Amino acid sequence: MPDARRSLARWARSPVVVAAGAVALTAGVAGVLLALGGYDPWAAASAAAVGAFGSPEAVLSITAVRAVPLVLTGLGVTLAFRAGTWNIGAEGQLYAGAVAGVWVGLVGGGLPGWVLVPVLLGAACVGGALWASVPILMKLRLGVSEVITSLLMSFVAINLAAYMVHGPLQEPRGVFPQTAPIAEAARLPALVPGTRLHVGALIALALAAALWWFLRETRFGFQVRAVGASRTAAAVAGRIDADRVMLFAFLTSGALAGLAGGVQVAGVTYALYEGLSPGWGYTAIAVALLAGLHPLGVLVTGLLFGALDAGAAAMQREAAVPAVWATAVQALVILAVLALGRAQRHLRAEVVRV
Amino acid sequence: MTRVLARLERIERRFGAVQALASADLEVRAGEVHAVLGENGAGKSTLLGVLGGMLRPDAGAYAIGGEPVNLDGPRDAWARGIGLVHQHFMLVPALTVLENLALGRRQHTRGLSIDYGRVAAEVSTLMDETGLVVPLDERVEGLSVGVKQRVEILKTLLRAPVLVALDEPTAALAPAEIVSLFGLLRQLASAGRGVVLVAHKIDEVLGVADRVTVLRRGRTVLSEPRDRVDATRLVKAMVGGEPPSAALVGAARAPGFPDGPPDRPRGPVIATLEDVVVRDESGRASLDHASLAVHRGEIVGVAGIEGSGQRELALVLAGRRRPDGGEASVPSGVGFVPQDRTAEALIGDFDLVENVALAMHADARVASGARMRWAAAREQAEDVRSRFGVVSPDVDVPARELSGGNQQRLVVGREMLLAKDLLVAENPARGLDVSATAFVHAELRRVTREEGGPGVLLVSNDLDEALALSDRLFVMTRGRLVPVPEGQRTREGVGALMLGGAGASGAPDANA
Amino acid sequence: MSDAALVLFLEASVRLGVPLALAALGEAITERSGVINIGLEGSLIAGALGGALASLALGSGEAGVLAGAGAGLVVALVFAAFSVGLGTDQIITGTAITLGGLGFTGAVYQASFGAGGAALTLPTLPALRIPVLADIPWIGTALFAQAPTAYLAYLLAPALWYFLFRTPWGLELRACGEHPDAARAAGVRVLRVRLAATLFGGALAGLAGAHLALAHAGTFAENMSAGRGFIAIAVVALGRWNPMLVLIAALFFGAAAALQFLLQAVGLDLPYQFFLALPYVVTLAALAGRVGRARAPAALALPWPKPS
Repeated sequence: MPDARRSLARWARSPVVVAAGAVALTAGVAGVLLALGGYDPWAAASAAAVGAFGSPEAVLSITAVRAVPLVLTGLGVTLAFRAGTWNIGAEGQLYAGAVAGVWVGLVGGGLPGWVLVPVLLGAACVGGALWASVPILMKLRLGVSEVITSLLMSFVAINLAAYMVHGPLQEPRGVFPQTAPIAEAARLPALVPGTRLHVGALIALALAAALWWFLRETRFGFQVRAVGASRTAAAVAGRIDADRVMLFAFLTSGALAGLAGGVQVAGVTYALYEGLSPGWGYTAIAVALLAGLHPLGVLVTGLLFGALDAGAAAMQREAAVPAVWATAVQALVILAVLALGRAQRHLRAEVVRV
Repeated sequence: MTRVLARLERIERRFGAVQALASADLEVRAGEVHAVLGENGAGKSTLLGVLGGMLRPDAGAYAIGGEPVNLDGPRDAWARGIGLVHQHFMLVPALTVLENLALGRRQHTRGLSIDYGRVAAEVSTLMDETGLVVPLDERVEGLSVGVKQRVEILKTLLRAPVLVALDEPTAALAPAEIVSLFGLLRQLASAGRGVVLVAHKIDEVLGVADRVTVLRRGRTVLSEPRDRVDATRLVKAMVGGEPPSAALVGAARAPGFPDGPPDRPRGPVIATLEDVVVRDESGRASLDHASLAVHRGEIVGVAGIEGSGQRELALVLAGRRRPDGGEASVPSGVGFVPQDRTAEALIGDFDLVENVALAMHADARVASGARMRWAAAREQAEDVRSRFGVVSPDVDVPARELSGGNQQRLVVGREMLLAKDLLVAENPARGLDVSATAFVHAELRRVTREEGGPGVLLVSNDLDEALALSDRLFVMTRGRLVPVPEGQRTREGVGALMLGGAGASGAPDANA
Repeated sequence: MSDAALVLFLEASVRLGVPLALAALGEAITERSGVINIGLEGSLIAGALGGALASLALGSGEAGVLAGAGAGLVVALVFAAFSVGLGTDQIITGTAITLGGLGFTGAVYQASFGAGGAALTLPTLPALRIPVLADIPWIGTALFAQAPTAYLAYLLAPALWYFLFRTPWGLELRACGEHPDAARAAGVRVLRVRLAATLFGGALAGLAGAHLALAHAGTFAENMSAGRGFIAIAVVALGRWNPMLVLIAALFFGAAAALQFLLQAVGLDLPYQFFLALPYVVTLAALAGRVGRARAPAALALPWPKPS
């Protein structure tokens, strides 16, 4: 009997169970709320599903394309959370990266593609990391919570990007608040010809695998996990420099978010404009949490939320449900993950004390 | 026949899968000091929690003044005059003593605001009656442990004048403070109150108690007037089973149970501190020009009231903290058993393999270059598990699922793997039952006896532990190390030094 | 710069500072009890929408304000159910509540008024002029010719100060935020206190949101809260969790936001986005400058009871 309880506890410990449960719970609650709002939940769901997965075109050109920035920012948020730091400002870091990337794309026209693309993406990483440096340094040097500061930086970044597209980086005719298209050589080639799916998807995949390997197999990755699990024990028992670890994790997190901005500019829009991101930096939090802060899980949940994004547009068209419901659903997902996580802990506490 | 104030019968209480109380009985009479003894984990604190209304029993009877009661929280208990003095002080550090004493009691108000004048008057009366004096306008966070305890006792007496139960009150006190505490308890009892004292040190308790109850594994196994029991009978009741060996009795009683080292030369010096200064955030020197040399093969014991600088001493020697002044020369092969194992030594969510890797990730046995060698780490974990008797189904369970004793075995074993030169241990037996304590002590002795074994720095709040294990003994007082001369190696002698009294000799030379 | 421009600046400072003050005063109480409500932004925007809808439906600004407070309270209730009731992580829960608040208010708004977002005009809260006091030169109209919610803020600050530092309930609340175990041992019902404090903070934030919609903008727009909830949290820290100082800090931030009027009057022609970003930059600078001296309640953001 103790064995059965222990296996039950182990199974319940699995993040996949929590994720599946959270999705089911969210779907249920969302359905009820939609019904209360006078909408037809089934029509909404089927419209969304068709919109996201109904055709190869939908899957590749919409869902997967929308998943790319979600996966990248999701990986960034995952890394930061794993190290015990709260990066709530990924949205701002994304814009900072987009600004840096688009600038390179505009001025670097003379360079060949195999140079320009890495430089663009690198600049995007640097932009994001730079934006992330303010909150993490304020935390480490001054003891200010990075939650509030990273959020505030997001608002600054969005205004900065707006300023750029209304001013210095505005397209030459000065009519629309957007940049001119970036040089041809700066653009990411298509991954699947005929669709909008670009090489950025491969980059996202590769980075997910890399982060997974980093956390699992490397010494520094282990230190990141230790600091995130218990800063005190890591410092005392592990003699780990927690500040250094948190700095690295947060800056890399910012770089990943910045990369998402750069990839979006170089792979999809080829320009920068206001509202480039419909809140990917915040959705990334739901992506990361639903994945149980597991890098490979982020691939799955990123796709899921990309589907939600794609489906929301279809849902608005077909079932007249405002697309902004997708934001509300993200919130429900996070709450569901949190609640189930608590239930899981409660279950764990019941396990036989050895 | 003295009046029975409270009677608990056949009390049961479980927490999750752990049966903390299986059938516990306790009868408290007015005018008596009633000691409750038991190993760590026997259920004493739980029983006290039921007595004080903090915990509801799953089964059993609780009667106060002859009337059956069903307490609904501590306020209910206070209303009937029963109060607890907790082991870990329940005082709000940021508030003043007066505010802490006024907290939660809504009697003295003038309009909407608290009438601190009336609270102070009430407290003064009580202070006069008991002789307990505390500074009312100081913040609790600035007070010493002894004074905080007095505040805690006053707080309880203010609300609960009839029966006072103290949970392990002597742990953080110097011997002289323990004496005055016991004097106070006797005084409270003779004023007609009931006093319950929970402890696990037999000798302390025999001096002050009128009646003794022993708990073992959640059951009351003995409850007799003081003059009908002796130490051996008590130990037998506490530990159960076979008549305990002399060593076990010693471990339970342990006033200066000398199992000193045979005469053998100690090894070369492996760690030195010279005039080391460590400052805290406010700039005060917590370690004030401390000098010490530790040799291989010896156990250097450091006793002292908590907060005298031992923590900083341990951290510096273990290489976890650089001194702000002076020189520290610390070897690379250092193991550290910190005092708070759940917060500082282990990560509860990590399994045993990862917890072993936590300490050893810089060690070539577990990592090479930038990569972890998980297979090797697993082997190390299995090794620790078997050699140090860590009871767990396998090495993949999270550390939080182990009992306290097994967690400590894991920590000690892991740190011994690293301690080729020096092992620093802070209160390594804290909260452990007798067998786990004996194990830890035996390991500390064994490792120093080995050929080429490390030196050990043992920081201990438990005077008996320090006296029993140390080859050389020091007292830490106000950031300074004071050596204890051979002739003064008794509880009284060391106790005097702990409170800053003069030693037999003058200026200490800690490098002798 | 003319006198009129300065007076305009002062009036704008107070007008912009009031919603911050209300939200921050409420959050100060919440944080003193040990809970950090990152979801304050959600309460704020819910209050704005609730206030807008109620004032339209019932035709009165006053009803709108009450409805706004109610909406903010409901949002805070959801937050408290998870963070205080279940003991989930306060930061993440708060983030979810903010996302949810923004999402759901957007959804309800679009459902009620269509996705086109034609600007609403709402029955507003008229300014209430206090005779005599409003005649004081310079600051008279700025301080005493504002919407009634401003006066609420002026009265709340000293009232909350008295509550925290002089009454037994305030003492108990502070104990919950510093050392909840000690509070419990003293018989305080910690979870209930934290719940009440969180609801109070949410109601005030909702009120602030209603003020935004009804007294300040005269309309509702999606995301009109623009991060004020987060700035309010920063204001609480800058005001050292002391209601009187929090009020002053909030007015100071109102001035920072009103700076655009002053600078434009002086003739400084900076890009419009600069002014939009200014409040956030000023907040960051203030946090960087004043930190280390104020100490937060010791148990803030830590789940209680401790998870096993």
